Parts: sequence; C-alpha cells; structure tokens
Amino acid sequence: MSGKEFFVNRYKELGWSYRQVKLKQAIRINAMNCSRDNVVKRLESLGISLEKIPFLKDGYWIRKSRFSVGATAEYLLGLYSIQEAAAQIPVTLFTELEDKTVLDACSSPGGKTVQLADLMKNNGLIVALELKQRKMFALVNHLERCRVTNAAVYNMDAKEATKLNMKFDKVLLDVPCSGNPITDRDWFSKRTIEDVHRNARRQRQILTEAAKVTEDGGEIIYATCSLEPEENELNIDWAVANLPVKVEGISCPGEKGLTNVFGKQLDCSIEKCRRIWPEQSQGFFVCKLRKQAVQQ
Amino acid sequence: MKAINDFVAQFNASLPLDKSRVVRNRNRYYMLPKKLKQQIPKGFFYAGAYLGAVKGSSFFPSFLLLSMIAEHKANKLVVDKKTAWLFICGRDIFKQGILTEHNLKKGDYALILNEHNECLGFGKIVHSIHEEEDVKQVAVKNILDIGDFLRREKRQSRQQQGSRRLQDSDRKPRQTSRK
Repeated sequence: MSGKEFFVNRYKELGWSYRQVKLKQAIRINAMNCSRDNVVKRLESLGISLEKIPFLKDGYWIRKSRFSVGATAEYLLGLYSIQEAAAQIPVTLFTELEDKTVLDACSSPGGKTVQLADLMKNNGLIVALELKQRKMFALVNHLERCRVTNAAVYNMDAKEATKLNMKFDKVLLDVPCSGNPITDRDWFSKRTIEDVHRNARRQRQILTEAAKVTEDGGEIIYATCSLEPEENELNIDWAVANLPVKVEGISCPGEKGLTNVFGKQLDCSIEKCRRIWPEQSQGFFVCKLRKQAVQQ
Repeated sequence: MKAINDFVAQFNASLPLDKSRVVRNRNRYYMLPKKLKQQIPKGFFYAGAYLGAVKGSSFFPSFLLLSMIAEHKANKLVVDKKTAWLFICGRDIFKQGILTEHNLKKGDYALILNEHNECLGFGKIVHSIHEEEDVKQVAVKNILDIGDFLRREKRQSRQQQGSRRLQDSDRKPRQTSRK
C-alpha cells in the first residue's frame, strides 16, 4: 500500500485536501546572543525583507532576499538560525525552562537544541542524543556557531536513554518520522504504509524510554513532521493507555488532534494535541504529555 | 591547558579560566559549567563551551574561545563592513579596511572584529600598519574566520559522500562475485 493516490485518499478521509504548498523560509533569532530589534535592523540593511511570524516570539519569515540567508555574517555569528516555522513551535510549549535539566532525545541537526539553550538563557543542562554518527558534526557545528554552552551531546540511541542514569524535568521528543510530501517532492514514490508502521513502532519505543527518564510531574513534548496518524494521534493514544502520562492542553496554531482515525475511536484527551496541516508551514503534529507519579 | 594558555598569550592576553572546569576529551578541550560538570555522565561527544582542539603540536581554537579572548584586553583590530565580509570569505586584510587598532606590529597575532565588536576570527600582521606603505598591500593575513562554519559543512559532506562511494565500491565486487 503506497503511492500518491493511496496517501492522498487517506488525507481526504482525515479532513485535508492534498495540495502542494510553497513553503516560506523562516529564521529564528537567538535572543541569548543579541537583541531581536538589532538583528532585524541588520538583516534589513542587507536587503533581506522579513515578516514577523505572528505565533512565534522570535520567528520571522523571509519575504525576500537576493542571497542565501545561510551565508551572512549574522548567521555565522549565531545571531539567528534557519528553522521552519512549524518546527519552532514544540520547544516554546515547555514551561519554565530556565535552570532545568532537559533531554533532547533526537537532536540533530540541532535547531531545537539551540532553541532550548536560547530559552534557557544558556543555563541549566541539556543532554542531546543523536544516534547517527554522520549527523553529529552538523549538530556540534550548530552548537558552536550559536555559542551554546549548556549542552552535552552523546552519540546514543534515544531508545537507550535510561543508560544515562539521569532523570529529566523536560524531555523533547522530536522523533524520527516518515516526513511529509510538502518538504520532500519524492515522498509519494519513496514511502509505503509499512515505513509508516515501522516508524510508529520505533516512536513508541522512544516514548516508552522517555517516560522512564522523566521526573514525576515532568513534561514531554512529542513532535513529528509526519501527517500520518499512526505516528501521531494513534501513538499518543497508545501512550496514554500504556505509559504513566496524560495529555495536556497547549496553546499553539493547528487543529485539534483527531479522536476518530479511520473508524477507530481514540481517547478524548487526544484532541488536546495539535495537528498542523500544510498551509503557511509544513505539516506538523505536536503534543504535551505530563508524567504521572507511578504508584509503588 | 598549556596549549590554550600559550594560544591566548599570542594575543598579549590572559584568560581567567577555571582549571577545574576545563576538561580534555580525546584531542578536544571543553569548559564545563558547574551543573554540567556535576551531572553529565562520561562518554560525551561534545559538552559545554568548546575551546579548541590539539592536532600534533598545533592548537586549533574554537570561535567561542576567540570571542572569550575578545572580551578581555588583547590584540584586536576593527575593520570596516566590506573588509569584514571579505575576511569572512577567507580573504586577507588590506590596510585601508582597518578602522582601529592599538599599536600592533609586524608578526603580532590579532583578533579581527567588525564594527559591532563581534569577533570574526584572527590573523597575523604581515606588514606594519603604521608605516607609510602601499594601502593596497596586505596588512593582515587571514588565519581563521567564521566562514569556516560553511567550509566545514562542505568538507564534511564531501567526506561523507566519499565514504559512501567507498562503501558502494566495496559492495559491487561482492555482488559480482556472487554471480
């Protein structure tokens, strides 16, 4: 089961008519390294036209630029990062990040790790895990460029996070997923439903591990850029039933999480999740889970 | 630690680094904030503030270390906007692009700052800045600049492509031999 028709029909059944969306490039200002107004002024003086992203404090869309925004002195000095608008949402959903101990379980290429450091004002501790050795260099280059000093990076699978022997106040699960056809033109020819199921199984393993390393009362933000409910609502429904977590309400753009997926009725708390269908940004799914104390 | 101190001294500077917080991991040096030092498990790949790496007898500083030195009294020179951009692109600095400097002489190492006092890298003074010489002569030789972040990415992706090609070529003969 694969192909464009198969997936497009699924999206239709879930309430979205597939259409190609032209994504606007977005940046996020690293407020720990500079003042927002100053960076905006400097970029505009270079001829880069910016548009404030209404739902993000530090996010701007690039309206117009004659050159790559990844090749300016300001970028190389770590004053901003290039980060898709929807991808900037998950980290902003944590509460009180400063001085906390945070796990970024699948961290490469590091956009969200830097965003965490920024919101933590480079205090506290971020433990960033990345399984693939070849992705580690991009991650640490990103940290060095943006002058992150409160992170420790490990070449480790998120499914083995308990080996760290640590407990975390906050856990970010930006889990590896099937992606979506908006950011990858060949997506329909590459992906099958079996890929989606395989990724969903892996995501459940990561969720299970994350629940073990989160402090009681701690927060887990789960996010994917997949549009497939198996990797999103169905996984969270499974987590609510099998792990000591509860879904919490969040304030961010997007539609309510689906509570009926292809005829299967899910826990009513799943509607607190947010599903962002591709429009102004790429497709995204995000939710906040609160770890419950386990009765001994 | 000596490698770092020797490097910093080249800029006529000294950094008040807390020795107890500087950690060497393979050939790389990191400065760990208190919380990191206390809490992180062993076996990290990267941690805290990366200071630089030792390769053979040379020390390769991080840009974070250069920025830390720039916050203190040290050999520095401020360049104009155009010169700053050319420096980031890997070019040397001509005398005419220098806005301010403090009695630097031939052979000195200096941090290169832009008009916002942000450190862009460092270079070596190759011709006296004060003497009446051709303004179009190179005054400072570029040794390291922040454009290196982009060059690194290209280098690393080339290396990865190379290693993938090697893996592919390793696979091909095996497939043939099976036939």
